[in-house]
Amino acid sequence: MALFALIPGLPLAAFAILALGGRRIGDASHRVGIPAVGLSFLLSVGALVEVARNGALSIPLYSFFDVGDFAVVVGLYADQLTVLLLPLVTGVSLVVHVYSARYMTGDPRYRKFFAVIGLFTFAMTMLVMSDNLLVTYMCWEVMGICSYLLISHWAQRPEAGRAATKAFLVNAVTDVGLGFGVVLTFATYGTLNIQEILAQAPAMQGVTLGAFGLEIERNTLIALCLLSGAIGKSAQVPMHVWLPFAMEAPTPVSALIHAATMVNAGPFLLARLSPLVLLAPSAMAAIAAVGAVTALYGALVSLTQSDIKRLLAYSTISQIGFMIFACGVGAFGAAVFHLLAHGFLKAYLFLSTGDSLRATGGHAHGGGRVPSARARPLAAGALLLACVPPLVLFTGPYEQLWNAQHVPSAQVAFWAVALAAVFLTAVYTFRGVFALFGEAVGKSVQARPSLLSTAHLPGIAACGIVVTALLAGAWSRFSEFLAPALGALPGASEPASLTLAIAVALGVAFLGWGFAYYSHLRPATVPLGRREWAKTAYVLLLNRLYFDEIHRVVAVNPTLRASRWLLHQLDLRVINRAVHKVGSTVLAGALTLERTAESRVVDPAAQELARLVTRSASWLERLTETGLVDRGPDAAARALLRVSGWLWRVVDRRGTDETLTRLGRLADDTGDALQRHGPRTLRHHLVIIVCWLALAIGLTYLLAN
Amino acid sequence: MTSLLTDHLITSLIAVPFAGIAALMFVRGDVWVRRVALGVSLLALCLSCVLWWGFDPSVEGMQFVERTAWMENFNIQYAVGIDGISLVLVLLTTLLGPLCVLASWTAIVSKVKTYMILILLVEGAMIVVFTALDLFLFFMLWEVTMIPMYFMIILWGGPGRIHAGLKFVLYSLTGSLLLLVGILGLYLQTGRSFDMQAMVGHAIPEDVQIWIFTFLALGFAIKLPMVPFHSWLPDAHSEAPTAGSVILAGVLLKMGGYGFLRICLPVLPEAAVEFAPYILWLSIVAIIYGGCLALAQSDLKRLVAYSSISHMGFVTLGIFAFNEQGVEGAVIQMFAHGVSTGALFLAIGFLYDRTHSRMISDYGGLQKPMPRFVILLSIFAMASFGLPGMGNFTGEFLVLLGTSFGGMLKVLLAMSGIVLAAAYMLWMLQRVALGQPRASLASIPDLNAREILTLVPLVVAVFVVGLIPGTLTKKLDSTVHKLLERAPVAIERTTSPGD
Repeated sequence: MALFALIPGLPLAAFAILALGGRRIGDASHRVGIPAVGLSFLLSVGALVEVARNGALSIPLYSFFDVGDFAVVVGLYADQLTVLLLPLVTGVSLVVHVYSARYMTGDPRYRKFFAVIGLFTFAMTMLVMSDNLLVTYMCWEVMGICSYLLISHWAQRPEAGRAATKAFLVNAVTDVGLGFGVVLTFATYGTLNIQEILAQAPAMQGVTLGAFGLEIERNTLIALCLLSGAIGKSAQVPMHVWLPFAMEAPTPVSALIHAATMVNAGPFLLARLSPLVLLAPSAMAAIAAVGAVTALYGALVSLTQSDIKRLLAYSTISQIGFMIFACGVGAFGAAVFHLLAHGFLKAYLFLSTGDSLRATGGHAHGGGRVPSARARPLAAGALLLACVPPLVLFTGPYEQLWNAQHVPSAQVAFWAVALAAVFLTAVYTFRGVFALFGEAVGKSVQARPSLLSTAHLPGIAACGIVVTALLAGAWSRFSEFLAPALGALPGASEPASLTLAIAVALGVAFLGWGFAYYSHLRPATVPLGRREWAKTAYVLLLNRLYFDEIHRVVAVNPTLRASRWLLHQLDLRVINRAVHKVGSTVLAGALTLERTAESRVVDPAAQELARLVTRSASWLERLTETGLVDRGPDAAARALLRVSGWLWRVVDRRGTDETLTRLGRLADDTGDALQRHGPRTLRHHLVIIVCWLALAIGLTYLLAN
Repeated sequence: MTSLLTDHLITSLIAVPFAGIAALMFVRGDVWVRRVALGVSLLALCLSCVLWWGFDPSVEGMQFVERTAWMENFNIQYAVGIDGISLVLVLLTTLLGPLCVLASWTAIVSKVKTYMILILLVEGAMIVVFTALDLFLFFMLWEVTMIPMYFMIILWGGPGRIHAGLKFVLYSLTGSLLLLVGILGLYLQTGRSFDMQAMVGHAIPEDVQIWIFTFLALGFAIKLPMVPFHSWLPDAHSEAPTAGSVILAGVLLKMGGYGFLRICLPVLPEAAVEFAPYILWLSIVAIIYGGCLALAQSDLKRLVAYSSISHMGFVTLGIFAFNEQGVEGAVIQMFAHGVSTGALFLAIGFLYDRTHSRMISDYGGLQKPMPRFVILLSIFAMASFGLPGMGNFTGEFLVLLGTSFGGMLKVLLAMSGIVLAAAYMLWMLQRVALGQPRASLASIPDLNAREILTLVPLVVAVFVVGLIPGTLTKKLDSTVHKLLERAPVAIERTTSPGD
């Protein structure tokens, strides 16, 4: 079992070797990374088999710290949820490693690149396997810094630096929420071990936290904190702004961020703590709302983007939003299923198109390549992979949920939002896939019908069959497998079945494809028509609802302005000036004191005293000078002088002084010789340090015995 | 022979820097002065490592205690000993000592001998402060640390050194005066004794405690520094030479936190509980205020200086949480801050040696000419804003856990300080390290072997504290447990409406 500790261990080892290895490794860096992650992938598959056979396993590693009565033990925990995600993470990472070995050839910072993606893989596998919220939070942050390092990989580009800083800071803001949740969990449960927390969670219902006169249930607050973390890492509205900018990173990194790591962390965290989240209905409503808004927003914006990388970024935002939405309605199994499918899809999309993106400058409407015959089934597959997973959401029985929420309209909202998201997903996926695999716009019109007939029409037709098979067979098996690891809504225990709902949803998806194909045939028309409100909407969406600008105006600029104001007005003008004022007042006071007191009071008194002393001294002198007092010391002094004169002549001069002179000359010569011979190199310094150390250790040893 | 070292280990450790000073007087030639200073500070480091391994974490209370009568008329003793908290801070002091010498290897060319003597003097004095068990000894060496710092600032400092040095010395003296009043108060209240261990058991009336606490706390608050007593710090930090800044930020500030832990908490528990709410809110203000001001800086050293104010806020926040998590977090934060901020000052010092500019706007794209420097600077900047896996995170996280018992609002506010820290550090990195390299900086040499050797021990320390903090908490646990013995009673007495 302890073998599975190598799943995060190997990528970490690869990182360590590459980071500390020095320049010797250089162009051979991929030879360290690929085997490590490859082995890690094999072990992940092994873990999947193991858990499928014997159930969840846990591996304690080491004691992190032990403070008072609170101890944190770093340990690994692998249950059904973990082992489903591990092959995705390590598998995609492996593919990214292999792909990067070619893609990044000749990069001056080849070694650093492989080191960081190794660390990134480690952080995500550790996050997935962690049994402790503290370690989860640490990995969460480490992923943030990895993304920072990768986005700023091409550091000469100013935009890369800005994008990296932005990505990290946006995440840092939301991570305050998550970190707060971790501390609150500790304050509530007294432990950070996830399984212990989940076991205690039902007992903690009704325990509240008072703030500003409000009494909020602690479980609700914790769930909201988890949501806050998910909003940042998984790029949910309104903190999604970093993800499109993260495209400054090399393309393989995008595959890693969108498919395997980073953005998946949010839905994973919610699924991991699902039993706790389910206890907080109002938090679930918030989660669902955030997810729904993001899913729709991402979909609408991606309809208007012409830059293919941005289109993909917003499609990720939308898809992750859909997953969060699924978590919010309690369909954690569906979210995980969607997450896996989406991960493989995005990895595939990014990697299969990385080169063409580089060739075309990244524009969907630039001159794309002519699709080879092999690409067309792949495109159809991509289409399928993108649109089917959301449908799984519709299999769940939600009646209990609507009852729990006490909001009948929630059901209507659910259907409206979910179907709209499915429709829009279908549209933009179709558009994206066409842009990537299809003929470039501007080619002859005849090309398009042939495209339809040769690949996509059968592909789309095949969808229905595959979807039915998948949902009927694989999905129910899948949700059964996953069930022990997730919390479930009460009454949702019976396996989900295919219902009318899926048929409706599938119909909507087909409608979306149809619409997309129709607008693709006439690319000159704006999809929403030419009415005034439509144009406004289009412009708004094209500018992504001005979220970046809003962030700058609402958060960034005021903070900077406030800091400068604080510095100049408060720190320098008030506090610093007050200190100086105190100083100068004391000085002025001292001067005044001197002028008044010193010259008028103290000085005359002192003079008077001095006069008195002088007078008495002279009187004493007159009294004693002629007497015995004067003669005694005189004789003694003369004798002393004679003795010391003899001492100086005989002892000091002849004996000590000459010896000292000789010794001094010897020391001088030795020093000079040493200085002459001592080569001034670092090695020389080191030898000296070592000698000192040896001397010290030897002394210590001698004295200690 | 055996007992000479085991019985007088701390005295030997204290003696090493002072003997080194004596030896340096007779050494001629700058090269040998540097070598001897390095050797002496390394020897001190070795001895404190011996202390570390010899320290028994299961013992509550002081170890390696030595007592000799000194001025018997006034009941003054030479008494030293260590517990977990002292141990950590002594290790920090002796760790930074050799690095300060190494950092000044080529940067200091005039009056090298004086400079090295000052470094050793301040190191020796601080070891005594952290190990003293007699308040008089504590106060005397507390004063001594100020003098070498003053000379380091005014003799080798930047352009505004005279003003900064004077401000530092006057501000510190004011603090010391208040501290002295407090110490004399304690002396009179505890039966005319300066013995810190004997004081702990004394029941001092609460109204007297409050007076004494006020004076002591003001003295410590100025040293730490707490907002609004911080205005000496940015000037002193930015004008001091590299080693001076490292000692100031790395160890000298910790004397304030150490004073709170060693005197205020165990001796005056009721007053500490009484004052705690104000100090906690001042700490929150310091965390956010320091972070905001760091964001507004255009000078690298001032940025790090203001970040120190923010980080020291966590120290007081943890100390006055009155629980194991908070106090141990505070000690770890002191250690981690000493390492990461010391390292940042070292790195900035190396940069300053090359370009003679501290302004952020004079830099840009340094990752091209100085990749090694940028890697190390990034590591320390990230450690400084509390990236998990590095030292400061452990300290800050434990402090936050400790604070959580006293109210979640404080936790939330303190965490926003961490965001500010991430913001100013990353923004600084973006402006200094990333982007298009400037033409004027194109041929700037990267760090040499000596400079890397100076920073590597600190990288190791940052990661050890971040990844296996158990090594530190193990040494601290029983000490902190004993320290807080009287806290629950005090909390109960001051909060219960008994009267």
